[in-house]
Amino acid sequence: MGETTTALQASLDRLLDSPGVTGVALVDAVTGLTYGVAGDIAEAGDGTDASELATLIAERLGAAGAEGELESVVTTSTKRQQVLFTVARPTGDPLLLSAGLDRDRVNVALALRSLGDRVGEVLA
Amino acid sequence: MTAHAARNVPALLLGLRDEGFSGTVRVSGHPGGTIHLRNGLVGAIETPGAPTVTSALLTSGRIDDEAWLAVCATEPDVDRLGGHLVAAGLIGAAELEVVCAAAVFDGAFAMALSPPGSWELSDREPALVTEPGVEPQQLTEETARRVALLSRSWGAPGELTRVRPVAVTGSGPRRPGVRLTRRHQGVLDHVNGRRTPRDLAFALGRGLYAVMLDLIRLEALHLVRWDTRAAPDSRPSTAPRPSRTPPPTDAPAPKVVPLPKRRPRGGSPGHDAAPRGGS
Repeated sequence: MGETTTALQASLDRLLDSPGVTGVALVDAVTGLTYGVAGDIAEAGDGTDASELATLIAERLGAAGAEGELESVVTTSTKRQQVLFTVARPTGDPLLLSAGLDRDRVNVALALRSLGDRVGEVLA
Repeated sequence: MTAHAARNVPALLLGLRDEGFSGTVRVSGHPGGTIHLRNGLVGAIETPGAPTVTSALLTSGRIDDEAWLAVCATEPDVDRLGGHLVAAGLIGAAELEVVCAAAVFDGAFAMALSPPGSWELSDREPALVTEPGVEPQQLTEETARRVALLSRSWGAPGELTRVRPVAVTGSGPRRPGVRLTRRHQGVLDHVNGRRTPRDLAFALGRGLYAVMLDLIRLEALHLVRWDTRAAPDSRPSTAPRPSRTPPPTDAPAPKVVPLPKRRPRGGSPGHDAAPRGGS
């Protein structure tokens, strides 16, 4: 939002160190507002699209009888993956960490696990 | 174009961005509000139409009142309060950024729901600001997106601010076929037919726009309803109400008692029975 490196920007920048991660964005899961982006913006994905997709999936899962809250969504193509992680907060509306992964550069399973483990650090 | 010749608030903010203005823009109207600028960027918006950062943090229980007051006592300059909240371990710096930014966008959205009145510029006033601030252009675009989305999915957003949703009977958490998120359940628990979306936002410590989206979703699920959309003019009607049921014919006719006449200089009708003239 501005040019100064903020704590949030630093958190997102650190996630680019994870192998295969090409872009990340922190998105409001309800409003679709993007709070910050690091790396390739296009790879990180659009915040509005991400929130609408996560909302739709959560509702369909709920209608199908799934228990609990949505944790992650992984969309896979031949070249890349788009991942949405729910970022836990003590209070407040849920957030999404949207990340793009390059499948040619990474073991996807390991990258997902690594990224998932670090999601909690974003709001530190 | 200078900021002072701007034709509307977004144009004003763009002009002030070019000038690198640090100060306050006070916008009159309903709800109106105060926009805090730092180096031309929007740091905070305070409006009666949407919860502020303080409301969001305290009402939601993210920070308890005592801890908040203790930090406020340590740092009287509200501009620097955020750093103290983080240093005290009450909230992470990144999370505080998120809360502050969300409040800025929500405040702008709330102010955009009705035409603004006039505005005036003044010196910098202390506020809990987001760092480094939000670009006015981004704020305008996001606000327009929100208004457009609500207009498409519901109708005029200004009218949605005036509805008073009520829970549909049997819309509890165990309603068959419907599994609500905690967030939606929280909204459903707070609707009572008297609260507007704004009231709900303040009661929950959440953004007005987010609450509106959730209400639309709950209405689509037939979990809340608002029978009739509020009239554009939110003032209660003062027109005489025709009786819906005629009085029974065997009932005695109501005794018509004229209202006491008002007397000038506080004269009490009870002590001034005789008219002074005229009618």
